[in-house]
Amino acid sequence: MEILQYALRKLLAGLPLIFGVTLVSFALMVYFGPDMTYQLLGKNPTPEQILEVRHQLGYDQPFLQRYLGFLREIVTFNFGESSTGEPVTALLAKTIPVSLILILPGFILGHVVGLLLALAAAYWRGRWPDKLIMAIAVIGMSVSFLIVIIGFQIVLSSSDGLDLFPVRGWNASSLGSYLSYVTVPTLATMFVALGYDTRFYRSVIVEEMTRDHVRTARAFGLPESRILLRNILKNCLIPFITRVMFSIPQVAIGGALLIESYFGIPGIGKATYEAIVTGDQPVLKAVVSLTAILFVLVVILNDVLYRVVDPRVTLK
Amino acid sequence: MAGDAGRPVLKVRDLTVEFATEDGVIRAVDSVSFDVLPNETLGLVGESGCGKTVTGLAMLRLIPMPPGRIASGSIELDGRDLVPLPNRDLEDLRGRDISMIFQEPMTALNPVFTIGNQMTDVLCRHRDLTRRQARPVAAELLAKVGIPEPADRLEDYPHQLSGGMRQRVMIAMALSCNPKLLIADEPTTALDVTTQAQVLEQFRVLQAEFRMAVVLVTHDLGVVAETCQRALVMYCGSIVESGTTADLFSRPRHPYTAGLLASIPRLRSERLAELPVIPGRVPDLLNLPAGCRFADRCPRVQERCRAERPVLTGRDSGVACHFPL
Repeated sequence: MEILQYALRKLLAGLPLIFGVTLVSFALMVYFGPDMTYQLLGKNPTPEQILEVRHQLGYDQPFLQRYLGFLREIVTFNFGESSTGEPVTALLAKTIPVSLILILPGFILGHVVGLLLALAAAYWRGRWPDKLIMAIAVIGMSVSFLIVIIGFQIVLSSSDGLDLFPVRGWNASSLGSYLSYVTVPTLATMFVALGYDTRFYRSVIVEEMTRDHVRTARAFGLPESRILLRNILKNCLIPFITRVMFSIPQVAIGGALLIESYFGIPGIGKATYEAIVTGDQPVLKAVVSLTAILFVLVVILNDVLYRVVDPRVTLK
Repeated sequence: MAGDAGRPVLKVRDLTVEFATEDGVIRAVDSVSFDVLPNETLGLVGESGCGKTVTGLAMLRLIPMPPGRIASGSIELDGRDLVPLPNRDLEDLRGRDISMIFQEPMTALNPVFTIGNQMTDVLCRHRDLTRRQARPVAAELLAKVGIPEPADRLEDYPHQLSGGMRQRVMIAMALSCNPKLLIADEPTTALDVTTQAQVLEQFRVLQAEFRMAVVLVTHDLGVVAETCQRALVMYCGSIVESGTTADLFSRPRHPYTAGLLASIPRLRSERLAELPVIPGRVPDLLNLPAGCRFADRCPRVQERCRAERPVLTGRDSGVACHFPL
């Protein structure tokens, strides 16, 4: 109950943040974003036509009014129609689920496997399993995401390689086809995430291992594996939660955008990319505001989880 | 009890502990031998860095390895050498036969588990109890170390208790399996003076009740005078003097012991112009002098001291000095 109140308070405190983010991004879109007028009119429009179209698009309204209109769209969750004539909400409803089921396996597996490898490396620190895992992690970190994607496509999907999976495209109508399309993107995301996450998790765990309370646990005869998996791990949760939480927006935006455009998957990332290229403002506005809201929610969830795992955190 | 007195609980012989550092191997403990008798409190005294804490940790083989290692010697608990013991057997023994309490009650307890949780961990590890059965036992132990409302305290996290209370919790944990030997590493150093006195008093009562031997590692000679029957004075990794506390305090024989005693601040009738100090500094462990390690600071130093290292004349009562007081 106390935690629920805390979450609500945090949510209220997050509102100004949402305003700020939307204001800045809206200003950027208005003053530096693409102008649809000339695309719609083609070559040699008359001044009257230009005025007409600008009026239709709402470009002639004062900035404040346009921004208030934008806020109204966010609150009512009605972003109008995209330049292709499709309602933006319909576009989101179509693409977001695709992105979710595309990204989630790699996201979850990346963190879980990263944590397991880090635990193994920390347990055998300084010995060969540690060195091997860390060597792989450095490779994962060093190779560019694009190279990883292309490499995995060649090795796993092309006729020059194992030819096990489709190279591009998307079909989630059945579990089998979903798995065949999702595997390569998942492996690529994992490979890159593992590099950073394993190193991060290992360093947090190893640092925690040097704490006095760990020595106390040893002095009382608790077995090493139990100390690692319980006493140490629970103390590492705050940095771990921070890491996982703040990788959510990153994965949702950067990861989805790259993977979806490279694998030709019709998710929100690809839709965003196309909207940027064609200057589809309604879609961009929706994506930007949703991202801002996602960020604020992540921050709140992060703080609430801190309280759950660490009794020293106060709900002030 | 009198019949027991001849058989030591713990027999340490020629214990040498080394640490590998970037600049070379440091010998933190250099062929230390001593006995701990049942029911006695043995003080292990010396300045910071003299090897007393490492000696204490070595009793439980808690030295971080690497970089540390027990280079030679034996640590016999009731006739069983702990040095070659496999880790699994050692884990069974830690907290059950030998317990240890640490200097920093602030950090020695796990911050994210309740007191009750941490205590039942130890109880369930070594005694045949379920967690449910262990809770009243834990509360009873807390009551024994003088914690009011023990059942409520079990639900608390370490940060909700004061330093003195935390150290009492540590003591209660250490006593929970009736150990034969308790190593207490500066148990009262981090506490304020009144709390310190209370904890020490509690300690004495509990030692009598639990009938255990205690090795008290401390730099505080006042604490030694109050609690220990015998004491070992360590300097640069070796024992320089051993004996009963009464003898050490009234008739110190090693110039270092005498220097330590003289430099205790105390209330005197006349004001001293300056507190006596031992001149000079502890030598670098990487560059130890050939002869007596105290030679450079010793007021009685002679030619022989620089050439030949003195050996301890007796284990239970002895001095390592060519020209004792």
